[in-house]
Amino acid sequence: MSKPAPPSAALPIAHALLRILIILNWAMVPVILALLFLLPNEQWILKAFGLFPSPDAARLVMGMRAIAALGLVGVPLNFVVLKRLLAIVDTVRAGDPFVSANATRLQTIAWVLLTLQLLSIVIGAIAKSISTPAHPLHLDAGFSINGWLAVLLTFLLARVFAEGALMRDDLAGMV
Amino acid sequence: MAIAVKLDDLLHDRRMTLTELADRIGMTLANLSILKTGKARAIRFSTLDAICEALSCQPGDLLRFEEEREP
Repeated sequence: MSKPAPPSAALPIAHALLRILIILNWAMVPVILALLFLLPNEQWILKAFGLFPSPDAARLVMGMRAIAALGLVGVPLNFVVLKRLLAIVDTVRAGDPFVSANATRLQTIAWVLLTLQLLSIVIGAIAKSISTPAHPLHLDAGFSINGWLAVLLTFLLARVFAEGALMRDDLAGMV
Repeated sequence: MAIAVKLDDLLHDRRMTLTELADRIGMTLANLSILKTGKARAIRFSTLDAICEALSCQPGDLLRFEEEREP
């Protein structure tokens, strides 16, 4: 019979970190909303980029607003990922991670990560379309091989957990 | 399940309680109860070995195939 793994500091740290990230993620909502609706952002953006009112500048402002709106869409998606990760970490802490609920959670995370990758491509495309040689816009968005590998890995992990849960069920009835 | 566990009969024949058997083979009473009531889905050879040794019986004395009747 294998010995149970010794308690690790990684799990409490992961739990605390995920809780902080959930709060920070929701804190982004008022920030983005303020950028979109409250602040006199057009003048602010023009000033930040050193632009004068022109069709190019208007396109830049419009593009930035679209990116901010897409960022707002990302907030609930990030929440879905973080909340499920937190639940998975809690099951690991409880010593019973191979349950079908975790397989379902990972499957959901994989679909959300896929959606976030698509969102990132759209944001990258917008950034590219509003970027000009005079005022280049560098955003960490667009196609990312690492991001798509993470999606694939998460779908695979979901499958591994589903199989693990079945094996765990079998083991539960063994004496 | 078509496999019946005859642990109750064996214990009765040997005038032994489930708790005594659990102590003798180093198994938890809860797990032994699962086996006795036919709720177990699988049995380890090591468990079978320990029970047969403690009760001086053969695996066939403990397990029996019984045809399931259609309701």
